[in-house]
Amino acid sequence: MIQVQEQDFHVQELYQSLLEANVTGAVAMFVGLVRHFSDLPVEDCGFELEHYPGMTEHNLKSIVNEAKERWPLLDVTVVHRVGRLSINDQIVFVGVSAAHRAEAFAACDFIMDYLKSRAAFWKKETQGENGQWVSAVEKDELSLKRWS
Amino acid sequence: MSRINVVFFASLREKLAMAEYQLEVELPLSVADLKQALAREIDTGHHLLEKTVHSSVDFEFTRDQDMIPSSAREVAFFPAVTGG
Repeated sequence: MIQVQEQDFHVQELYQSLLEANVTGAVAMFVGLVRHFSDLPVEDCGFELEHYPGMTEHNLKSIVNEAKERWPLLDVTVVHRVGRLSINDQIVFVGVSAAHRAEAFAACDFIMDYLKSRAAFWKKETQGENGQWVSAVEKDELSLKRWS
Repeated sequence: MSRINVVFFASLREKLAMAEYQLEVELPLSVADLKQALAREIDTGHHLLEKTVHSSVDFEFTRDQDMIPSSAREVAFFPAVTGG
């Protein structure tokens, strides 16, 4: 399942949906959260996530398909939130189920690496009335080299 | 001539003060040439020539030297992505 949505998600429900009775041997999950990025009080800080409807989903499908080609996976779920978020809110969920842990861990790591650098999302940090677009980090791009 | 839809996102959309623009161009055309054409047409278009501007054609990431085919429906320009 690939989902881009404004509303929050429930990790337990997403975990349950990844399970297949008598077959699943491992589930690896990652949850990304909004960190407090400023000296201002938490209530004055926020986050806006913009995406490119259509392209973002297309990017995520390509990343998940690539992961399924690399490892024998049973199921993959990616949920990414967009719109206004607050500090400590959940941003992204990546869950991978497989027969064994090695492929579940690797695929989850791979999907997050590619999601950060190859999916059409843009973050903006807001402090009161001011907003600052987040710049891409070089280490995220370098991290992709691990998979080539 | 083909009519092509161009969309802008994030900080680039704010710098250009527009989210979308249509223009008539002769396709195929390189992404770099489309940037140049837009930079001439749009008042704030010089921002498109900044090195940090990335692109896509019909949802696939592209580079400056890539050609936009005559079948293209939408080209997008945006800063480096920052999801996750």
